[in-house]
Amino acid sequence: MTKPQTNRPDALEVQNLVVHNTVLTAVRGIDFTLPAGGRMGLVGESGSGKTLTALSLMGLLPMGWQANGTVRHDGVDLITQSDKAFSSRRGRTISMVFQDPLSSLDPVRRIGFQVSSVIRRHTKASKQEAEAQTLELFRQMSLPRPEQLMRAYPHEISGGQRQRVMIAMALACYPQLIIADEPTTALDVTVQKQVLRILNNAVQERGCALMMITHDLPIIAAMCDTVAVMYAGRIVEMGPVSEVFRAPRHHYTKGLLDSQPTMDNIALDGSSRLASIPGMVPPLHSLPRGCAFHPRCSAASDRCRAEVPQLETGQRRAACWHPIEAGADATVQAGVTA
Amino acid sequence: MTRPFDEHHLTPPLLEMRQVTQTYLLNRKSLLGARPSLTVLDNVSFDVRPGEAVGLVGESGSGKTTLTRILTGMEKPKQGHVFYNGADVWAGDGERWRNFRRSVQVVMQSPRSSLDPRMRIGLSLLEPLRALKIEGDHVARVHEVLDQVGMTRQALERYPHEFSGGQLQRIAIARALMPAPKVLIADEPVSALDVSIQAQVLNLLKDLVRELGLSLVFIAHDLSVVAYTTSRVSVMSAGRIVEVGKPLDLFTKPQAEATQNLVGAILTVEAGLAGNALA
Amino acid sequence: MMTMSKSTHAPAPASGSAGPGVPISPPARKSRRRLPRNASLILGLILTTIFLTVALVSFFYLPSNPNIPVIRNRLLPAGTPGHWLGTDVLGRDIIAQLMVGARTSILVGAGGATLSLILGTIAGLAAAASGKITDEAISRGADILLSIPGMVTALVLAATMGSGALTTILALTAFFTPSFTRVIRSAAMGVLNEDFITAAKLYGRGKIFVLARHVLPNIAGVMIVQFTLYFAAGILTEAGLSYLGVGVHRPSISWGLMLNEAQQQVGVSSPLAIWPGLAIVLMVLGLNLLGDGLRDVLDPKLARRAS
Repeated sequence: MTKPQTNRPDALEVQNLVVHNTVLTAVRGIDFTLPAGGRMGLVGESGSGKTLTALSLMGLLPMGWQANGTVRHDGVDLITQSDKAFSSRRGRTISMVFQDPLSSLDPVRRIGFQVSSVIRRHTKASKQEAEAQTLELFRQMSLPRPEQLMRAYPHEISGGQRQRVMIAMALACYPQLIIADEPTTALDVTVQKQVLRILNNAVQERGCALMMITHDLPIIAAMCDTVAVMYAGRIVEMGPVSEVFRAPRHHYTKGLLDSQPTMDNIALDGSSRLASIPGMVPPLHSLPRGCAFHPRCSAASDRCRAEVPQLETGQRRAACWHPIEAGADATVQAGVTA
Repeated sequence: MTRPFDEHHLTPPLLEMRQVTQTYLLNRKSLLGARPSLTVLDNVSFDVRPGEAVGLVGESGSGKTTLTRILTGMEKPKQGHVFYNGADVWAGDGERWRNFRRSVQVVMQSPRSSLDPRMRIGLSLLEPLRALKIEGDHVARVHEVLDQVGMTRQALERYPHEFSGGQLQRIAIARALMPAPKVLIADEPVSALDVSIQAQVLNLLKDLVRELGLSLVFIAHDLSVVAYTTSRVSVMSAGRIVEVGKPLDLFTKPQAEATQNLVGAILTVEAGLAGNALA
Repeated sequence: MMTMSKSTHAPAPASGSAGPGVPISPPARKSRRRLPRNASLILGLILTTIFLTVALVSFFYLPSNPNIPVIRNRLLPAGTPGHWLGTDVLGRDIIAQLMVGARTSILVGAGGATLSLILGTIAGLAAAASGKITDEAISRGADILLSIPGMVTALVLAATMGSGALTTILALTAFFTPSFTRVIRSAAMGVLNEDFITAAKLYGRGKIFVLARHVLPNIAGVMIVQFTLYFAAGILTEAGLSYLGVGVHRPSISWGLMLNEAQQQVGVSSPLAIWPGLAIVLMVLGLNLLGDGLRDVLDPKLARRAS
């Protein structure tokens, strides 16, 4: 992980986080550290536990779900925080950008009011000061005609603009950490890049830490320094983005990378095939024994079927009994022994 | 527009819409004013030939959805015609309509929504045959189609909520295949699926086109997904088809502005690692 | 789903032995958390079953005739042997009256709820599935009917037809049908927007088939829940009407009628009003609990999430 330039405390330190409800355990003990100003990606498919991880960091778990473990941020353990303490922190030191900007904004309030009220809630700014700051934020987000936008209602602006308003709101109080959960999934492809660029620049300028939660590997590659790949509630691989994506050690990571359509497999004649991971993500209530990925893995051995592999220590870690070694085609070797 | 592919001149199109213009009336702005209208499709022609896989891309609001609705017969064009096998589907008798219904099948975006949650999979699969009054050994057909999409027979007795999104999309494809269609129209068939599952479904669609000689119309907002699956892609923008070409040509030398935007919007892992993805 | 809370506690044993990633086995509290929802269903079911049984038994067995006055037994206190809940001012047994009252209350409540369910379903489906004009006509019609107070409808009906159980059922039907229509319409609209409806239309299924085979099964849960809630509301309304004297009359007996008669004796024997009041409260509570419990079990979205 990249060293923080300053000696500021880590933005987030998660130890053995478990999220469960009465019947299911969706996140089964994950650890990671996000340094101040660091940018981490959390990748996973539906059912991997990535969204519940994010919600537990914000104290926004849905009814019936509960988090255990340690989540250290700004000198306190968020897990033990009361709802009240959490809500004074939300928007101030941690803020979140959600997938659907339309349902995250109040439809009957003007946009300017919504953003400036966040500022007024967390700072001592007067109404005029808060509005001036809001206007400045809108300019930073490259939003067109910011003065008019202040008086607009959410339904009157486009999806891309709404998401930029959400980013402005998330940045309003100079948080130490922004959690973005699939921030561009609901947007048109052509505005995705612009929104990502604005988020990227804003986070960089303020030196705030970013946690990007998505299933989309190219977004992680563009936005993050480190990446954690989740599968069935565990982190299966973690490390610097460039290393993990160039030379994945876990077979699941490799499978995800291979199933991306790229220029290489765009057919000249329609005959090429995408590599795909066979099978499906196991449902939480019937996870396989041993490594949760083994039924879909070409390198699975008896050991994978019996024992859960632990995440290695160090910078570049994978949780696999037969990790892919750089340079060697471990898939084939392990496949033979299995 | 001149056809870019000479080799296709030889075979007549199987499904074709010709010069379709579709306008919707909007609500009055003032009490006495005339109702303003919105032109969603503006003189659009689109076709697919036997065994050919064609794609249609465009941003939301470009007219893709309306084109899909007209192509599948969900909506009648106000101007222009839809031809199946050379015959105008809205002009003929009931028999012609039934033949069109049977031969053109649709796979929709959300697999959860496209199967009745209160109906067993087996019954859902039989529905098209019963509704279209197709004779024959229905059970054998169900088994055959399940094999084609890679599902087991245990699925038949179960309900949709027992399956994952990817499995449901296979089942939805199976249902579309039941009446042995000639054209499969896939409307954003993978955008609701997980990444690792998307590749499976794309490969399945590709295999079906090859093995069954199906024609495929693949509609999506993501150019790279469409390009992977088809051999000819039409780009839509503001109710018109602005460019038609081979996928690789669209990527390497996009002509229309809409195509350039779509190509420019594609994010890849390589570009991200190189640090110029957001440039 | 309901049994799950008991049996699937054990955390995946395969991963139990391994290091720091051990899923913490959720504490035993979890079954308690799940309890309220099952409890309301079970309690509701028990209460409703008791009253239904009592109403059925009343056809075959009554401790004494609830309509024949026995003056020497008047105003016996509760606990008197042979008249365990006592007697009223004319010496009629309270238990016998409550049993016959259960019969009337259930008949009227269920009758009103059933008739309005049938009519409301037909109107609601018609509104949801047909064109804009029909929809507007039905929806606005329902709005107009809803704006007429139920009591006025009941009083007008009682004045023209004479009061009685049948009149009360018709009044309830007139009162409940518009609400049912709205609920069914919006539930049906939700289903009609699903892609499987589009698919069915695409392979040529007609409106009636779509409504009968796709929409009805998918809104059955809503219908059952609404039925239990309006059943309860019907019992309450019947009690109110009988209390006002426009409901049933002797020789029919309803809990509302008993309240009405007891009210005239307040001061002489206040406990008389307690028994029919308690019966109404428990029956209505039971049906509402049942409705809430059923809503949790039958809601396809909740069911899907739990499975």
